[in-house]
Amino acid sequence: MEREALQAAVCELDAAVSPLDANADRAAVVVEASALPAIVRRLRDEPQFAFAQLLDHVAVDWIDRGQFELIYQLYSFKHKHFLSVSVFVPRDDPRVPTLCRVHPVAEWQEREVYDLFGVLYDDHPDLRRLFLEDDWVGFPLRKDYQDDFMLDRPR
Amino acid sequence: MGIVTDKLPGALEKVPGGNVLVTRFDEIINWARASSLWPLTFGTSCCAIEMLMATGGPRHDLARFGAEVARPSPRQADLLILAGTIVKRMAPRLRTLYEQMAEPRYVIATGACTISGGPFIYHSYTTVRGADEIIPVDVYVPGCPPRPEQLFHGLLTLQKMIKEGETIREPGVRRKPVISALPEGITLEDIQGEMKELLVKENVVDVQHAVDKLKWPSGLNEQSSGKSGANESGAGDGT
Repeated sequence: MEREALQAAVCELDAAVSPLDANADRAAVVVEASALPAIVRRLRDEPQFAFAQLLDHVAVDWIDRGQFELIYQLYSFKHKHFLSVSVFVPRDDPRVPTLCRVHPVAEWQEREVYDLFGVLYDDHPDLRRLFLEDDWVGFPLRKDYQDDFMLDRPR
Repeated sequence: MGIVTDKLPGALEKVPGGNVLVTRFDEIINWARASSLWPLTFGTSCCAIEMLMATGGPRHDLARFGAEVARPSPRQADLLILAGTIVKRMAPRLRTLYEQMAEPRYVIATGACTISGGPFIYHSYTTVRGADEIIPVDVYVPGCPPRPEQLFHGLLTLQKMIKEGETIREPGVRRKPVISALPEGITLEDIQGEMKELLVKENVVDVQHAVDKLKWPSGLNEQSSGKSGANESGAGDGT
């Protein structure tokens, strides 16, 4: 499917889905956090979408808006089309259901986002740090992260 | 006084029946150490690909300097070429690798990240600001990444340090580290030309000299004497 048609078709799936940005270079939708696993499971199973692959999962820290944007990049081997699914969660209580049951690869991708941003994934089987040491304090890719080791650029 | 040899430190004394090589243990041990450095296979980021792997390949060919036997085990290596960013998580492993290497061991730090932290020096939660915060470094090779010629320059600097510096009377005395920066205004063609010249010089076979050493039959000797004025010399693998 073409980008506009795909975006419109995904938005018709459920009331929890809305279009994100008309200028994006691939179809992009916003999903409410509570509805995320069900929506992604339907995107995977319905033959017109067939999003069998979770390519990547990243987070963006929008500190001005007080939100984390969690982005899931989906790809369909069958139809060769992409979809970007965004979820907005508040910064002070970042909680989102896990996608492990739908895409098993999400387990480690979510561990990485937890490691660097501190997003908590409900029902995740093994939510430990992935890259940093287990006794690390804080989440270093948050925009307001500071520690004693960091050096500020002299003015 | 006999002939002072170029490659092997020492002097050749002519005695009846042959030659005697007179040298010192320090010099010959340092010569052996400097001529067969075995680097540890250790690359942590882009410098390892752009510089270290390129030097190991046939185009630049680290083997010309006797340092091509990259060892995957630190217990068999005596040269640690640090190529790439050192992060906090890597630092204890790097320290362990260095301590597992047998004495005498040498360290070359290449690239901006390894020397100072490079582009990651500010606002980084994890990059170590210079590998010399963890292990002592002998030679610094600046660049981002350094060209393979710069690594050769650093390697030759280290060989010079080894040959001049260490003595078996004072083992483990560490010399001051040096920065192996190429002088300004030198182009790549200059370096390549100089290396080519050096290689040709070392690999030239003096045909006339070889011919004179052999006892030819008288008839053949007269034939070849006609063109003996031109000192023919075939170049080795100069390219």
